Amino acid sequence: MTEQAAKTKGKFSASVSFNRQIKPRYWRLGLEFSGEGAVAFGGTRPGQFAELDLSGAAVPAEKAIPEDLRDAAKREVLLRRPFSFAKVESKKGKTHVDILYCVLGPATLRMTTLGHGDVVSVIGPLGNGYKAAEGEKRAILVAGGMGAPPMQHMAQELTAEYPTMDVIAFGGAKSVDDLPFETRPDQILKELGFYLREFAEYGIQSMVATDDGSAGFAGTVTDCLADWLGRNEVNANETVIYACGPEQMLAAVAEIAKERHIDCQVSMERLMACGIGVCQSCVVECKCDGDTEYKLCCKDGPVFDAKEVVF
Amino acid sequence: MNEMVDMMVEFGGMGLANPVFTASGTCGYADELAEFMDVNALGGFVTKSVTLKPRKGNLRPRIVETNAGMLNAIGLANVGLEKFIEEKLPVLRGRSAAVFVNVAGERIEEYVAVVERLANEEPIAGFELNISCPNVKRGGITFGTDAGQVKEITSAVKKASGGKCLMVKLTPNVTDISVTAKAAVEGGADALSLVNTFTAMVIDIESRKCVLANRTGGLSGPAIRPIAVYMVNKVYTEVAKDAGVPILGGGGIRTASDAIEFMIAGASAVSVGTASFIEPGCAVKIIEGIKKYCERHDISKVSELVGTLK
Repeated sequence: MTEQAAKTKGKFSASVSFNRQIKPRYWRLGLEFSGEGAVAFGGTRPGQFAELDLSGAAVPAEKAIPEDLRDAAKREVLLRRPFSFAKVESKKGKTHVDILYCVLGPATLRMTTLGHGDVVSVIGPLGNGYKAAEGEKRAILVAGGMGAPPMQHMAQELTAEYPTMDVIAFGGAKSVDDLPFETRPDQILKELGFYLREFAEYGIQSMVATDDGSAGFAGTVTDCLADWLGRNEVNANETVIYACGPEQMLAAVAEIAKERHIDCQVSMERLMACGIGVCQSCVVECKCDGDTEYKLCCKDGPVFDAKEVVF
Repeated sequence: MNEMVDMMVEFGGMGLANPVFTASGTCGYADELAEFMDVNALGGFVTKSVTLKPRKGNLRPRIVETNAGMLNAIGLANVGLEKFIEEKLPVLRGRSAAVFVNVAGERIEEYVAVVERLANEEPIAGFELNISCPNVKRGGITFGTDAGQVKEITSAVKKASGGKCLMVKLTPNVTDISVTAKAAVEGGADALSLVNTFTAMVIDIESRKCVLANRTGGLSGPAIRPIAVYMVNKVYTEVAKDAGVPILGGGGIRTASDAIEFMIAGASAVSVGTASFIEPGCAVKIIEGIKKYCERHDISKVSELVGTLK
């Protein structure tokens, strides 16, 4: 008898443990894996992702569908959808995974109708996550809009693996209602923008930025980061920036990191048909020997060294 | 009665363990799939396109989902012939599935050069001539829509193929697919593969721009299946049956029932494409499903199904 090596990725069934709305457009879904799936997902790194089959989930009742998604609701879902993780916990042979999602199309609209005990087909964990810290003493997490989940996951990992590390998180969005955090707006305002529960639970200080100034710093999350870096002494050699968010924001973070000679890793987002490196749709243009080449977001990323990416 | 179903099929001069293939561009070069599918369980495997020189492919976005389908405009991104031989071919060695290399190019000489170079490579059972890619500016579909050019390129490549099976992949973007099918057979094709994707367009109504950077893309998935079934039946009855040339039929196959429909229509073998993106192991499941159907209908040899449309 030969013992088979445990699978590090594959197609698994997960059971929904919760699915709750945290903001008008944002939801948090809890998935539970057992058996081989628990082992595979137990080894997930922040920044990795999974492909969920949502084609079989029910469309919400018409009155629960936001006006601007009425047409999208009529569309069928064929392809799986990729999601990163906000939290991963293994205990008693099970692995619990939290997915934070924004309702913006036919698949995520269907996702809102998943309930406790429903079974979802999941392929993962996929891609390469953020590289583990290599002796850095300070980590800066920058989350723009839906870039929040892997930054929450990163906060979880850094706290568990590098308890002495000095970590600060920046969370930004257009407006207070677009912040994909469960923290209530009044709490953010009360604490003068220094408090997001998702980071505070790990003892990590956070700063909030909104483009319209409805909470925390008035401006983009990158303006907020630059402002903070200007007011605080940061040793570039001992610092690393982890960022996730819209491409324009990642480009701005990469620029800030470059100016200050700080290492920076960014997680990119692309439309994907397969997520496992066969369809060739999710290309990311990267620098290569004075020229550029296409790498695959799903297989070579989604996390890239910021210096490598052509924004 | 519970006799074993004989799943073997004759295809272009060779015997395949079963009639199920994975389609080009949907399973890479098999190296990405280890965790998801037993490639050895397949009857045939068609690689991602190989061109003489490496190709970066099109700008993004390269895909967009539609109702019951998707558009792609990858643009034949691939590692190129030399790197294919160096890195991908060794992975395909020792496979029990018949390996077909999908060959693409801009000029006939490029197709010939690729096939010539691969003609003596042992793990390759044959070639799928891609003269039907709708997503490149030169070559591809421009060969595949003109009967004269189909015949010319098929016969040129046939001479270079060292006796290996030559399958010609036809585009459905023509007025009468039997005309190009006939041209391929006259050019010496050992098998026909149909259909490639349908040229299509999706517009973002907010920006009034095409969603795909290439503007148009190839529509695949369940949406095209009934049209593909019709075309397979048309080519089977009008060209392939009398010529004794087998058809690899496909277009939107997701289940064994879908695959059986194509076989009844006249396909000797079937290819699973877009569905592999959603269920990477589904081609293998389809083999099992076909077997069960045969048992249920007292069919002892799966090949007896081919072209049995009443």
